[in-house]
Amino acid sequence: MKILFANHIHIAQQSIASSRMRSILTMLGVTIGVASITTILALSAGASKIVVDQVDSLGGNIAVIRPGASSEGTLNGIAQLPIGQQYAASSLSDMDVAAIEKMEHVKAVAPLMILGGSVSGVSEGSPHTPILATTPNIEQISELEVSDGQFLDPSLSGSTAVIGPQLSIDLFGTDQSIGKTVTVKGQPFTIIGILKRTNTPINYNTVDFDNAVLIDLEDGRELIQGASQIQQINVQSESVEYLGGIITNINKALLKNHFGQADFTVLSGDEIAQPTSGIFTALAGVSVAIAAISLVVGGVGIMNIMLVSVAERTREIGIRKALGATNGNIIAQFLIESLALSIGGGIAGYILGYILAFTISTFLTFDPLFSWEIAIVAIVVSIVIGTLFGLYPAIRAARKDPISALRQYD
Amino acid sequence: MADTNTPPVIVLKQLRKRFGIGDAEHYALDGIDLTIQKGEFIAIMGPSGCGKTTLLNVLGLLDSHIEGDYELDGKSIAYLSANRQARIRSQQIGFVFQSFNLVSRLNVIDNVALPLIYKGMSKLARQKKASTMLKSFHLGEREFYMPNQLSGGQTQRVAIARALVNDPAIILADEPTGNLDSRASHIIMEELSDLHKHGNTIIMVTHNPDLTTYASRVITMLDGQIDTDTMRLALPVKTGAKKPLNVVKKSKAKKKAKK
Repeated sequence: MKILFANHIHIAQQSIASSRMRSILTMLGVTIGVASITTILALSAGASKIVVDQVDSLGGNIAVIRPGASSEGTLNGIAQLPIGQQYAASSLSDMDVAAIEKMEHVKAVAPLMILGGSVSGVSEGSPHTPILATTPNIEQISELEVSDGQFLDPSLSGSTAVIGPQLSIDLFGTDQSIGKTVTVKGQPFTIIGILKRTNTPINYNTVDFDNAVLIDLEDGRELIQGASQIQQINVQSESVEYLGGIITNINKALLKNHFGQADFTVLSGDEIAQPTSGIFTALAGVSVAIAAISLVVGGVGIMNIMLVSVAERTREIGIRKALGATNGNIIAQFLIESLALSIGGGIAGYILGYILAFTISTFLTFDPLFSWEIAIVAIVVSIVIGTLFGLYPAIRAARKDPISALRQYD
Repeated sequence: MADTNTPPVIVLKQLRKRFGIGDAEHYALDGIDLTIQKGEFIAIMGPSGCGKTTLLNVLGLLDSHIEGDYELDGKSIAYLSANRQARIRSQQIGFVFQSFNLVSRLNVIDNVALPLIYKGMSKLARQKKASTMLKSFHLGEREFYMPNQLSGGQTQRVAIARALVNDPAIILADEPTGNLDSRASHIIMEELSDLHKHGNTIIMVTHNPDLTTYASRVITMLDGQIDTDTMRLALPVKTGAKKPLNVVKKSKAKKKAKK
């Protein structure tokens, strides 16, 4: 069996080498499909890793509460597009924040209200500028630093704001904008601090701090007619060992507040990264679907070429059968040949995918991630394609009648 | 050479092979009764379309859709699975074809080693055995030639070497000299005759009456039936040694019987 297998591989090598151009073109379909899957997976894994690293670097004593029931799996990730969440009313309330603040071993709590609206200084800001209404605790929990001025302080009179360095440059042409007035949703705010550049547009707060304007939670409420729209609550425990207990308590307290409805999710550790990369998961899902189509096209290409190959080698099949090859031997021979095509295409696609991912990542703030899972996905996908589309030609080859096969002109 | 003490290798009882259905129905083999002993060298003759090749294909288990009974080594093939039949082809039967049927993209030694693959031999063992076999056919220095670089006679010798590499008990040759000139033909026939002396059972289809002199038994076929079945006493040594013994004109005898 082992010998036969080695021999089939040898035959496949010979056959592919003897029609090199044809084989390369056939592989191309699978290569493109696998390359796109690899690129997407490597990039989205790289993006998630950034967030995981951020959470890790914060000491692992952070829990994050988000509205909506917990979701598992990629499909839910797609269904839970962040766009939809922006319009949905959040299930988190000030009552929840108050309940968590009262708990033991909780070091700090920061509710995050992310608002949309116009932001302008000397010049108009981007309409997508995030307006983050929060409490000063965010500075400690998310380890934000101020490069100039001070952080938010509710005790200060008047409306104050802290802005990101990039936003400062965009609005005022300089990162020295302390004391200037930024207009947020039509209301004037005095800038009291400029954040230090973080260069992490992707993070678990889903706010690009370099580009954001931070205002006090109360001011934020006024901007939306006194309502509360808390998208996220960050909780910091006194130390890592208390975190588990705190999460249990939060779950209990919030369930009570929400009349037993689990319409919130408490996340910690690596879990925090997942909903953040939800948009990547969604993107990856869509791209993988497109890649799947190209894989099917590639598979049909393989099937086509294998059928040609079977027709060309009808006489050889007849000879082999006359010399004692079983139907199984013939199936194995042609199946291995189609597998060689698809796996060859898959490996080329995997390499090409990483080249693409690295090329794309030069325009992004994160690097693609190398992981054995992606390699396995690439190989498994190629094997499935090769088997799926090679089986029919192989069975057709095995079913050939040896007598008429031998009679066929070479 | 024929060994009558052991049970016959091949027994055919009322073998019929049908082609087509309905109006186009036609029996290529129409009631063949034949017993072949181990070590016989049988030449099958007859006009084109009389069913010689069909008979050979049936004997070689390439065609098992038959009516009647075919016993190989005392076992009816009707009960053999396709895989079992393939194993018998691999281990007991060697084919030699008129059109040689070498695989054109493999070199000579790989062609000869081809049947050994399906016996599960390692590559090295295959190459060794094939090489020995080729040397015995004086083709040792042609091992790495491609089939299209050989003459017709050499190609057929390669094909015979391939048929023999498995040490098959039965060799089925379908007009092995059909594409060769008379000189090459006789070389091939000498090779087959040699094999016969070593105890192989050889069944050869031919159009050339001269070649029947090598055979120990000559069967002529007509319209899917055995016309004559001639036993020869001893092995012919040289060409022209035609000594037909008990000639039985089967079809004539049948006709008489009908009357």
